[in-house]
Amino acid sequence: MTRPRNLRLPASIAGVAGLLALSALTSGCSPSASAASGDTRVKGGTIVYGHEQEPPCLFGGWLQQAYIDRNILDSIVTEANDGSIKPWLATSWTVSGNGQVYTFTLKPGVKFTDGTPLDAQAVADNFYYWEKGGNSTAKVSMDPYFKSAKALDATHLQVTLTKPYLPFLTMISQAYFGIQSPTALKRGAKANCDDPIGSGAFKVKVWKHGQEVILVRNPNYTSWPATALHKGPAIVNEVDWKFLSDPVERYAALTTGAANVIYDIPTVDWKNAEANYQVTQYITPGKPVSVYMNTINGVFRDKLVRQAFAYGANRKAAAQAAFHGVIPYEGNPSVSRATPGYDAAVASAYAYNPAEANHLLDQAGWTKRNSAGYRIKNSKELDVMFAYPAGSVFTSEGATLLQILQQQWKQVGFNVKLIPETQAETFAGKFSTPTSYDAQPWYWTSPSAAILWIVWRPSTKANPNYSNSSFYNNEKLSTLIQHGNSAATAGAAARFYGQAQQILQDNAAAVGLYDQTSSIAVAKNLHDVWLEKSQGEPVFEDAYFTR
Amino acid sequence: MKTQARTARRFLVKIVTAVGVLVAAASVTFFAQLMVPGDRATAILNEQTGRAQRWTPAQLAPVNHRFGFDRPLIVQYVSYVGGLFRGNLGTSYTQYKPVTQVIAAQLLPSLVLTVGALIAAWVLALAVILLTGRRGRFVTSLGSTWEALTASLPTYWVGVVLLVVFAVEFRIFPVIGGTSVMGTVLPVLTLAIPLAGFLGQVTRDEFDKVLEQPFITTARTRGMSETAVRLKHALRHSVLPAITLSGWALGALLSGAVIAENVFGRPGIGQVLVTAVNTRDVPTVSGIVLVVAGVYVVANLLVDLAYALVDPRLGAS
Repeated sequence: MTRPRNLRLPASIAGVAGLLALSALTSGCSPSASAASGDTRVKGGTIVYGHEQEPPCLFGGWLQQAYIDRNILDSIVTEANDGSIKPWLATSWTVSGNGQVYTFTLKPGVKFTDGTPLDAQAVADNFYYWEKGGNSTAKVSMDPYFKSAKALDATHLQVTLTKPYLPFLTMISQAYFGIQSPTALKRGAKANCDDPIGSGAFKVKVWKHGQEVILVRNPNYTSWPATALHKGPAIVNEVDWKFLSDPVERYAALTTGAANVIYDIPTVDWKNAEANYQVTQYITPGKPVSVYMNTINGVFRDKLVRQAFAYGANRKAAAQAAFHGVIPYEGNPSVSRATPGYDAAVASAYAYNPAEANHLLDQAGWTKRNSAGYRIKNSKELDVMFAYPAGSVFTSEGATLLQILQQQWKQVGFNVKLIPETQAETFAGKFSTPTSYDAQPWYWTSPSAAILWIVWRPSTKANPNYSNSSFYNNEKLSTLIQHGNSAATAGAAARFYGQAQQILQDNAAAVGLYDQTSSIAVAKNLHDVWLEKSQGEPVFEDAYFTR
Repeated sequence: MKTQARTARRFLVKIVTAVGVLVAAASVTFFAQLMVPGDRATAILNEQTGRAQRWTPAQLAPVNHRFGFDRPLIVQYVSYVGGLFRGNLGTSYTQYKPVTQVIAAQLLPSLVLTVGALIAAWVLALAVILLTGRRGRFVTSLGSTWEALTASLPTYWVGVVLLVVFAVEFRIFPVIGGTSVMGTVLPVLTLAIPLAGFLGQVTRDEFDKVLEQPFITTARTRGMSETAVRLKHALRHSVLPAITLSGWALGALLSGAVIAENVFGRPGIGQVLVTAVNTRDVPTVSGIVLVVAGVYVVANLLVDLAYALVDPRLGAS
C-alpha cells in the first residue's frame, strides 16, 4: 500500500498524466503563461519551487542536499559552463610547481549570516570538518590526496596535497564543499541539520518538515561567484522550496501557477512543457547509469559472457522507447558524455549484435539450450541475478527499460532475473557483497573523470574499495587513472582517462545504459534561473520576475 | 462502595493492559528492525552518501559509537524501553533530534486528515445508504454498485483523479494543499471515498435485515414516516458493524495516509514513517508505531463507548 516518497510513477500513471496534459490544453493559457507577455522587471517576490525529494538534513553528502546547499552556502571556487574554474570565495589562487600546494586569496570582509567572519581559518576548519565525517562525499572526493589546510593570514589559505591532483579545483567547486560558519558548526548536529549557516545569497528561514524549506534573501550578500548573472544580493525576497514527490502533482503545480519552477519534468509531459515553459535538461557528469558486472563470482567471471551480455540487447533503442526519447542512451559505462575527458569512441562499442553475442556464448562453452530457451553449461542454466534499486534510482520507466532488455537477453540465452531492491534493502547493503548479485545498475555523479578513481580503485585487504561494485581489480587501469589524476594538463589527463575507459569497456567491467539527468521547467515570467555546472543545482540568486 | 472499587480496579487493569500493548508494540518494532539484514551504521552511512555499499570497520566505528550501537543489544533495548517511561523515544538517526520532536511536528496534520477522513467516510456511507437502501431494485443496486466500486478503488488513483479534476481543471482547491483548510478537502476525500464504500457495504447488509424486522413494521403501523423509520430505528441498529470497523480504520488511515500526503504535498507522519523505514531510522519507526498503537487503543475505547450509546441493550447490562 505505502509507497516510498521518492518513488516516481510516470509510466504507470501515463493515462492520468495524459489527462493532465489535455486539461492544460483545453483550459487555454495558464496564468503564468499569460503573464509572460510583459517585460517590466520586478524587484522582490517569492519563487515557489517544486522539488522532488526531501533530505533528512539540509547539509550532507547526498545530491538532494547539494541542491539546497548551493543556494545557502558559498564555495571556494566555481565551475563555469565551459568547464573552467572561476573565482568565488577565492578571488585568485596559485599552484606550486609540483602541483601539490594551492594558495588561495580569499575575498576580504565576507561574513557568514550569523556574523562570523569568513576568513582563511574558517575555510581551513571546514576542510577538517569534512574529513572528520562532516561530509562523506567531500571526503571521498579528496581522498587520498588531501593532506592539510592552514590559514597563512586572514585572507590567505594554503591547501597541501599528498600528490598532484589536477581535478582538485573542479572537485571542490561542488556544493558538498560549501563553507559553513565554524561558530555555527559548534552548535552541534541537531542545529546544523535544520539550519546550516553559510554566507550564501539565501538563508534558511524555516524548514517545515514534510512540506517546504523557506529560504529568505541574505540582504548583506557580497560574495557572489564570477559566474553569477548579476552582482548583488538576490533579487527575489524568498524561495519556497517545496517537496512535491508526486510527479502528477508537481507538473500540475506548474500548469496551475501554484509553482513557478519545478524539478524533474515527467517525461510524459515533456512535449507540453517544452511548448509552454522554459525547459532545461542537465546531463549529469560522472558515472552514468550503467550496470556493474560481478567479475569475481557467478557467470560474469568470464569476460566473454560479459561481452555477450553487452552485445545481446539493443540498449539504445530500449532507452529511447522507455524514456520517450527524453533521456539519452549512454554506451560508455564509466563516464557520461558531460564529463571532461569523455571518450566518445569508447561509447560506440558493443552496438546491438545478437549474432556476436551468440558466438561469444558458444565460445565460452554455453552451447546447449534447455526447453525454456536458456543456455546451459554442465547442466547449469545461464542465470543472471540482476538486482536494481527500484524507486530511488530506477523509476517505473527505468524498470520498463530493464524489462525490454530482459526479453532481448532471453533471445540470446540469458535468464535474467530482475530483483527490485527496496530502498531499505539498498541502504542496508543487502546487495553489496560478491554473492548477492551478478549485475546491478547504479550511477555516481561527479564533475570530473576522477570519479574513475573513486569507483575503480582496486580493492585490497588493507584498503578495500567497496565502491568498486564490479569487484574489478586491474593494476594497469589503476595506474592509468592515477596518471590522469596527477597529470600536468587537462589534455594529458584526458589521454590517460581515455585509455582507462577503453580498458573498462574492453573488459566489459560494466555495461552502459543511459545518462543520469535532471531537468527544470520555469514559468515564462521568471527569468535567469540557471543550473550550475558541477552537479546541476538550480540557482535562484539571479532570478527575477517580469510583469 | 464495593462497585466503585470494582470499577476502579477494572479501569486500572485497562490502563495497565494499554501500557503493556504499547511497550510490546515498541519492543516488537525495535527487534524486528534489527533482524532485517544489514546493520544500522551501514544504512546510516549509505543514506548520508546515497550509496549502497559496504564500509570498512574504521569507517563504521565512529557511527557505531555515536549512536551507541557498540553497546550490547540488551543494554540498548533496556535503555530504549526505560526512556519510553520517561517520555523519551530516543534520537532520530537521520535528523539528530528527539523522536518526540520529529513526530510532534507532523502529528496534528495527520490526525486532522485521518479523523476528517473517517467522519467524511461516515457521512458519505450513511447518505448513500439512506438514499438508496431498499428503494426499489434499480436505486438499490445503484447504491450497492457504487459501494463496491469505491471500496475497490486504489487510493492513489482516487487522489490523482481528484487532483486533476478539482485542482487542475476546475481550480476549486489548491494543487499544493499544505495544511490549509481548502488544501485538506481533497486529501480527506481521497482517503474517505474508498473507506465509505467499505463502511457502506457492511452497513447495507444490516440495514436490509433490520428493515425486515417486526419492530420496523410496528413503527410504520404507528404512522411513522419512512425517513423517520430509517433514521431513528433502522440506522441505529445497522451501524454497529461499521462502528467496530472504525476503530480499525482510524489506525489504518493514520499509517496509510502517506499516499494522500504524497499526492497533495501534505506533511504528516505517514511520510515520516516511510522515510524512516527506508533509512533504518529505528527510533523514529518505533516511535511512530507507538503513536499508531496508541491511536488504536484510544479508538477501541471510543468504539466501546459508542456501542453503549448506540445499542441500548449494552447500556442496561
